[in-house]
Parts: sequence; C-alpha cells; structure tokens
Amino acid sequence: MKLDKASIETEIKNKIIEIADGLGCDATGLQSDDIIPATGFIDSAGLLELVAWYESFYDIKIETAEITIDNLGTLSAMADFLQKRKGLA
Amino acid sequence: MATPIHVPRINNNDDEVKLIALEVAVGDHVDEAQVIAQIETDKAVVDVESPAAGYVLAIEGELEEMLVVGRVFVWLGENSDEKIPEPSKMARDQKISGQTGTPTAKARALLRKHGIDVSEVPVSGDRLSVVDVERYLQSQNRLPGADQTDTAVKSREMKPAVTGKAQKLENVERGMLSTVIWHRDVAVPGYIELAYEQSAWKEYAQLFAQKHGLLLDPLLSVMAWRLVEIAMETPRLNATIWDAKRYEYDQVNLGFTVQAGNNLYLVVVQKSDEIDELSFVNKMVDLQRKAAAHQLKPDELENATIGFSSMSRWGVERHVPILPPHTALMIAHTVNIKGEGVLGASYDHRVLNGGDVVKVLKKLSKPKSQVK
Repeated sequence: MKLDKASIETEIKNKIIEIADGLGCDATGLQSDDIIPATGFIDSAGLLELVAWYESFYDIKIETAEITIDNLGTLSAMADFLQKRKGLA
Repeated sequence: MATPIHVPRINNNDDEVKLIALEVAVGDHVDEAQVIAQIETDKAVVDVESPAAGYVLAIEGELEEMLVVGRVFVWLGENSDEKIPEPSKMARDQKISGQTGTPTAKARALLRKHGIDVSEVPVSGDRLSVVDVERYLQSQNRLPGADQTDTAVKSREMKPAVTGKAQKLENVERGMLSTVIWHRDVAVPGYIELAYEQSAWKEYAQLFAQKHGLLLDPLLSVMAWRLVEIAMETPRLNATIWDAKRYEYDQVNLGFTVQAGNNLYLVVVQKSDEIDELSFVNKMVDLQRKAAAHQLKPDELENATIGFSSMSRWGVERHVPILPPHTALMIAHTVNIKGEGVLGASYDHRVLNGGDVVKVLKKLSKPKSQVK
C-alpha cells in the first residue's frame, strides 16, 4: 500500500466515485481541495460509508469528534490526516 | 382429507426422538411405504415410511430437532393444495376420538407461563407438547418476540416447480424476513403521505450543524428526533396491540433504516426519550458508522418501538416501508422530482387511524421551534 499523498488521494477519490456511482452521480471531476459534502456527489450516509472504508482500508480508528471539515472535508485533508496518523508527516 | 404422520415410538424409554434426515419436501409426491425421514434415539436410527401415497402438505419439524413421540410431523394429502386441519378442528376430532394428551413438563410450564388451561390446546400426538402450545399461542396471536418466521413461511409456501438451489439466509436477511412476515401476518397496514416545503427543515438543520460544528448534515437525524418528541407527546403512536389491548411502550426506541452495502439495517436508538437532541444526533452518527462497518451489536438492532426511514438519497418519489415488528408507525421520508419534501407513513390500522397519522405528518413537516 502506497502512503504518499498522491496515492492516498487517488485511492480515496476512487472510493468516492464508487459510492457516488451507487447514488447515480458522477464524481470523476472531484478535485483535491473540493469540499466533499458541498460537491453534492455523496450525502451524509455516503460520507459515513467513506469514513468506515477509510478506517478499515488504512487500519486507523477515528473518533466521532474527529469527523470534521478540517480533518476529512477534502481529499487533501483526508490524505494529510492519514499521514499524520501514520507518523509520516 | 389430510392424513397425519405421527412421530413413531422406537422404544419405551424415549418420549422424544431426533429428526436426523428428511427425504421429502412440501409439495413432493410420495408412494406408500416410501422412506420420508430418519429419526434417531441413543440406541437406534429408524426409517419413517409413508403410510399412504400422496402429496406432502406440511412438515412440522426441522433437522436436528427433538420431536415428541406421537405428535404429527408430516401431513399428507391426496392433492397438493389440500388444507391441513385447523387447530380447533383437530381438537374436536381428538375429543371425538377420546384423546386427552397429558402435557409434557415443558408444555405444562409454558401453559402456566401464559395462564392457559390445558383443555384449550389441541393435542397433535400422544402427549401435549411445547410445539402444540406454541402453535396454539401463535393461532391466538399471543406469541410476541418469538421467531415465527420459519413456521409462517413454510405454512404458506409451496416448493417452486422450477429446480434451483436453496441458499441459507444470513442473519440480516432472516431479520428482514421476520419483519416482513410480521407486517403481512399480524399488522393491518395502511399508508398515507403528504408533500411539504423543505426550507424550514433545511434551515433548521443548517443552523444546528453550524451551532454544534457538525461536518455531517443532521437533517434526517433532527427530523427523527422530532418524531421522538411527537411520540412522547402522543403515546398511542409508540404502541402496538397485545392481548386485544393497545400496549403503549414505556420508552421510545427509535428505529432508523441504514443501507450499508447490500445490507439494510434498522438501527435502534434505545430510550431516545431520555437523551437530548444533540446526544440523539451523535448517537445516530455512531450507529450509522457501525452499520457502515457492519459492527452493530444485537441491542443496537432490536426492539424498535417506532421507525423512521428515508430514501431521499436515491431520488425515489415514494416508498412504502414495512413496519418493524410490534410497532405502529414507520415514517417514510423522501424528496420528489419537484424538490418538495415528502413524508409518508406506514401504520398499523389496529392501533392508529388515518386522522392520527395525518396529524403526525403535519407536525413532522416543520421544526417545532428554533435551534436550541
């Protein structure tokens, strides 16, 4: 598993595209700094599904209080949060 | 007339035997003397042969189940669509033939538990068994909480004519089966819906999220919380029918549907009436996260007393939810193609009438107050 920022963002984006596809949305245009909930590609339930996958795929535990815009609001933020959690940044 | 096949006695010391093989299924045709099952005691395995040719109408026993000697475990008929006798008819037949049926110890305990006189219950074998009592309780709608799924399904469904492979259901699927069968067999469901203007709720949810610093849109959670408040104000909404009376629950356990992958969960916020709105919203987030990770505990999935469901994320115009067992009201939220909110409700007409439900939907169509 690659943990450089670009690879993490790509993995997360692919998951978002998959979730959005299930909702009939095309999220392929999602950019690194787009606020994910504001794009409308996925709703709250989809975002929770994304967080569950994020925890499982990268083997980290996130408290409910950590689910904030600052930590998980964009692809870039999610990659930064993971690298910090893994001690890589 | 349907012919019963009784569980045979293998030796004098064994009042129960284990069913270890079933060679037939409901709908099969069998010949006279054809082996239909195998039963076992500590000492022997014995084939059970059909006493006559006919079609298998019902099988009242499962593999590995201990069967009371003398009880009926297979019904045969001359035609595949023949009806098996109702318990009351069985009782009359048995009175005529002089059978009395001493209850087994377990059956006696169950009779005592439910305050039933032994003479009320039809006997299917030499002795009155737990199965007899449970069947009687089920016929009287007096067996809440018990898993009646298998009996309910098997008593109505014939084996399909087209060959196929039977796949065992997973726990979540069995739970859903149990729910839909309760809805079909016990509740008397109705459905009502109305459209509403979304702006007040959207504004409320946005202000609530800002005030409490939430990332996730709390719209559905705060609407579900409003339903809890309404249920607290009107106890008949948070009720079911039990023993011919309206049974109003002492607590509001809000069930909320969550689709996680292929699984549809009904997560339950126990005692929702004892927590505040923000705690409720956070609890909903926790439960949805657990659902998404398929890590829910049993007590997070059971004993809903009222329900809320939304399919707005799929853009459906209408969905008519199934009532969770022992509930009288399940709200169905969505957004229609015009962008209007839609609030529907499946309800148990034994408990609520259409007027009750319209009042709920109107109350639920806007926030009660400003964000606290």
